[in-house]
Amino acid sequence: MQAKELACKIVSVGAWGSYFANWDELQQLMQGSDVGQTKNVGPKPAVIPANERRRAPLPVRLAVESSWQATQAANVPPESLTCVFVSGLGDTDLTDYMCKTLASEHKELSPTKFHNSVHNAPAGYWTISTKTMSAANSVAGYEESVSLTLLEAMIQCESENVPLLVTFYDAPVADVLQPILANREPFAFSLILYPASADIDGTLIRANVTYNERAPWPQLQSSNEYIAALYANNPTAKILSLAPLLTQSFACEDVVKMPLSKGTSVTFQRSQGRV
Amino acid sequence: MNIDIIDYESCSAAGINLAALRVSLRQHKSGLIKNDLPDSALNTWIGRVEQVDAIDDLQQWQSRNNALAALGLEQGAIKQTLANLTKKYGSARIGIVMGSSTSSIDRTETAYTDLDTNGELKPKFRQPLVHNPHAPSLFVAHYTGLTGPSLTINTACSSSAKVFATGARWLEFGIVDAVLVGGVDTLCLSVLHGFNSLQLLSENPCKPFDQHRDGINLGEASGFAILQRGTENTNSSGIRLTGYGESSDAHHMSHPHPDGLGAKMSMTQALQRAQLPPDAIDYINLHGTSSRANDLIEGRLVSELFPRTTLCSSTKAWMGHTLGAAGITEAIIAMDTLKTNTIPGSMNLETLDQALDFSIQATDQQRVCQHVMTNSFGFGGNNCTLLFSRVG
Repeated sequence: MQAKELACKIVSVGAWGSYFANWDELQQLMQGSDVGQTKNVGPKPAVIPANERRRAPLPVRLAVESSWQATQAANVPPESLTCVFVSGLGDTDLTDYMCKTLASEHKELSPTKFHNSVHNAPAGYWTISTKTMSAANSVAGYEESVSLTLLEAMIQCESENVPLLVTFYDAPVADVLQPILANREPFAFSLILYPASADIDGTLIRANVTYNERAPWPQLQSSNEYIAALYANNPTAKILSLAPLLTQSFACEDVVKMPLSKGTSVTFQRSQGRV
Repeated sequence: MNIDIIDYESCSAAGINLAALRVSLRQHKSGLIKNDLPDSALNTWIGRVEQVDAIDDLQQWQSRNNALAALGLEQGAIKQTLANLTKKYGSARIGIVMGSSTSSIDRTETAYTDLDTNGELKPKFRQPLVHNPHAPSLFVAHYTGLTGPSLTINTACSSSAKVFATGARWLEFGIVDAVLVGGVDTLCLSVLHGFNSLQLLSENPCKPFDQHRDGINLGEASGFAILQRGTENTNSSGIRLTGYGESSDAHHMSHPHPDGLGAKMSMTQALQRAQLPPDAIDYINLHGTSSRANDLIEGRLVSELFPRTTLCSSTKAWMGHTLGAAGITEAIIAMDTLKTNTIPGSMNLETLDQALDFSIQATDQQRVCQHVMTNSFGFGGNNCTLLFSRVG
């Protein structure tokens, strides 16, 4: 059977990083603005109750912050959204904590840190904070996290005919693991997707999988060193290669091709005009 | 839904392959042993797969979790079935969806016990493809030579149930012509000491749904199934995935919703997708961890939703709770009843929890089943229900 073309609308975007607090600020950096004098401290997503937020690890706060921004920008109730969360590297700070503790004489782990260490902790905090009872997937794809998860989200959006929140996030890697997983920058990015037939404003994106070839990741057009390092080292920042399709102010590229697996690639194409 | 299961294999403490598992199930022979994991003094029972210890030649891929995946892939006809499919469709048209909760954190733990004098990773542990949550799929792709899309689902204990839903959607959209779904999770100090910190471990062999149950036993397992569109398969096992449900509790990271609302939603969705009434379900393999709270909530829900003619059991007393591999392990046990016509009893059940009243008993029952269901519930309030049916 031939692979079907996938189509859905991107309705809104959320984003957070050291030098941007939202999608507008990220676009300015990508277009060449200088980074600010001070780094943002970790995000404090308002939707997580204060007592929970204090205990929430950075990956959770990153993911929930950008998810909340995208949901607000789309002006849709969060509980109406099925969600897919992805991190390429997981919470290495908690892995580091657990492995150090377990390598010591006293192996008692904090129960809160243990349950926060599950890969779906961000999805859990999101669904608990927003009272969302829809399906929440939590996936990993290492270097291909972005392409695999976009594909997964579009398939789910179209096959279940539901609006969908997809959130990409990765936090800086703990020191011991730095030599093999180089990321030093926090990053989170969210998209709200609707089925192509939905009566809502958005950018129509089509996706096609191609076989027996592995495309390289696109070169990112950015003169900003911070953005270039982010793109190179943070697996989920590879979503920035999709930026040309998300804003008219970038060069007129309408097609972005990404590697999907050893033997496949995926092409995302923007349909002309807004629909 | 029209997705066929064309092959499946299970590897756990109850048997390193399906044939051995069937024997253990029939003989009510548990694989649980007193905890003997190195460096762990916890007084509990575990389901360890002894044969994994000998697999030490994976080089840059070495981890206990990958070794358990490799052991599982060597069982039955899985490799041959994949080879036949690859010949027919090409390796890029076959996908992989794996579920896991620990991935290869066992290896990270080992690396941290053996850091160099500067506190850094020794060269043999510098394994970027192992120390990340996608490791199970990366390894399975390497080991099988499959080059299609491969995704890892990490939703704690629902992980390898959800792989069926994702795999089915990939097939329905023609993204792949076949998909290897599976789960692999390994006993390691993180999970043993983590569950101990939550005071969830039992000092005894677990007794799901029993009045005197006092906690869970952890185990390790790998399991695989190969899915194809029903119209195209050439090697049907006679089993079809007819429904799935996925939902969230929206309640608490490590406690289930007190009324089981999310779990109810996932079971109801699976029935709706399959267009089946509750009384069509012959057997439910319950999540049934043997924890006080989980079993009570799941048992109440089942008695509320299903008639007494739907037979139920938990099979965790055979291999323990295998976490991210529990979904596939129990999906295989559930779907295999369509072939063996034997519903496993709920081992170690002596006196049913007095607050519960539904069709669960300790002894096996013979029945030609048409439709069977399995539940998987995970941390973060993540739920998945699967429904399998006899073809024709």
